[in-house]
Amino acid sequence: MDTKETEPAARHHHILPTFTTVLVGLSLLVLTGVTILLGGVELGRLNFAVAVLIASVKALLVALFFMNLLYDRRENSVIFGASFLFLAIFFVLTATDLFFRGDVAVKGPISAPVPAGGKRVAKPWLATEALVGRGRELFSQQCVTCHGPEGKGNGPAAASLTPRPRDFTATVGWKNGRKPSQILKTLNEGIPGSAMAAYTTLPPDDRWALAHFVVSLGPAAEKDSPEDLLKVGVDVAKGEAVIREAPSIPIELAMRRLTRPELKARTKARTPSPTQTPEGARVYQARCERCHGPEGEGAIVGALGGVPRMLLRTGPLSISKAIENESAFSEVVVRGLTGELMPGAADLSERELRGLYRHVQELSGRP
Amino acid sequence: MMSADVSDRAVTAAASHEHESPFAGPDEAFEAAKQGMWIFLVTEVLMFGGLFVAYGIFRGLHADMFQEAHRYLAVSLGGTNTVVLILSSLTMALGVGATQRGQRDRALLFFGLTLLLASCFLLVKYFEYSHKFHEGLLPGGYFRNEHLKHPKAPLFFSLYFVMTGLHLVHVLVGMGLIAWLLKRTVARQFGPHYYTPVELVGFYWHFVDMVWIYLFPLLYLVG
Repeated sequence: MDTKETEPAARHHHILPTFTTVLVGLSLLVLTGVTILLGGVELGRLNFAVAVLIASVKALLVALFFMNLLYDRRENSVIFGASFLFLAIFFVLTATDLFFRGDVAVKGPISAPVPAGGKRVAKPWLATEALVGRGRELFSQQCVTCHGPEGKGNGPAAASLTPRPRDFTATVGWKNGRKPSQILKTLNEGIPGSAMAAYTTLPPDDRWALAHFVVSLGPAAEKDSPEDLLKVGVDVAKGEAVIREAPSIPIELAMRRLTRPELKARTKARTPSPTQTPEGARVYQARCERCHGPEGEGAIVGALGGVPRMLLRTGPLSISKAIENESAFSEVVVRGLTGELMPGAADLSERELRGLYRHVQELSGRP
Repeated sequence: MMSADVSDRAVTAAASHEHESPFAGPDEAFEAAKQGMWIFLVTEVLMFGGLFVAYGIFRGLHADMFQEAHRYLAVSLGGTNTVVLILSSLTMALGVGATQRGQRDRALLFFGLTLLLASCFLLVKYFEYSHKFHEGLLPGGYFRNEHLKHPKAPLFFSLYFVMTGLHLVHVLVGMGLIAWLLKRTVARQFGPHYYTPVELVGFYWHFVDMVWIYLFPLLYLVG
């Protein structure tokens, strides 16, 4: 492809006049001067915008005149312009992810602070019939499993819990006390060392409703003083409540928890059909597998009612000390682990326990 | 006689077929080459773009650090280089125009000037870089400066060196290409009828200028 003097190629191409070329060059120099001068002036956030704007004008001048894009075929402008479009998409998606990711993990609640479909209650710390009714409804969904339908602490799951669930009809033994604000504190924070979890995933009004309903289960309780209310973020004078948001863990910690090294997958084949499995495997499948994983390798579990942000990881059974001897194992299985996610299973027969022990031992690769 | 002539032509046709261009004519070949160049420049935009996005993200995360660290860059040197590169873009454009008009001597002059200005850019960059090395204003773990205390400051110099470094590589490649243009212009291989490489090297050089047009204010002026 060397000189081909015969072909009249140049005719169709636009040749930039020298005058225009020099003019564009001078404009670029002037604009450079303007940027440098404005760089010295403190315009706050505008500095950045102005600098980028001037740079873009300069880049456009270069592209349109020096690179002839103004006189070029339109498709070349589309091609070159598309690269900037995609660059913008790249930047916007990355920035929106990165700059707003923190809100989800650290600041904002996942649940709406307003009950679904309902309006905010004006002063939820004052018991009303409507609130107590709402509390009853929530109680039957959230609490009866452990606390029982009458709130006597005798729900179906109560047998396996240590310490036992609170009896709401009793007047003594309340960790935080039984004024509505004190019950709210329990709902906000849970009771560490027990199976009572924090219910901050419920909207604040719903937590108040629950507190009022729980009070109504027992004999009349003391009323909240303004000081009591202040402790849970209610300023009676202002008539406003501070919305308590769900506690959340920093994203780095969550990631670390989720990425704990996996145990190597077992190669041994598992007994396939549940009808043919021996006792232990059946019990394991029914009671343990959901949290501990089919191979006892540990799994990610929703700790508190399946709130996505409250995911924890159960450890692999093979490193558990409890399976080193049968009586220790049975105790953990029957009583559960206080303050942990592990519930007790007091309804298992000796035979089932023994079968389960064998099965778990086999899963963990011990003789 | 007749048959010999025919077979002769057939041979010529076959021979010329082997060298036949896939394009309908030189115009189409020129347009195709140019479009190829634009597509190449798209990949260049996206390569530098990744760095600019990184710049934007870190600037968003550590605005205070950028404010502090950018004062350690010399606006006078960066500004000089901006002017130098813009002038070189101008001489390049004038050189391309001269080639298109068949003014070979002017073209040689302007390409030579472009190369000279590019060398000026390199010289200034050399002083800038050696000053940064001396002060310990180095990327990441090599950062040794004791006046700039912001814990994230090394990040700024990582960005500075990677971005200006990649740009510098482009300047060097561009200089090689311009030297090649000079050589071919001296050999009278370009003229009003054929100047595809001249125009496309021009594009490349203007693109290098364009990148610096963004780098200068973002790194030196607003940090």
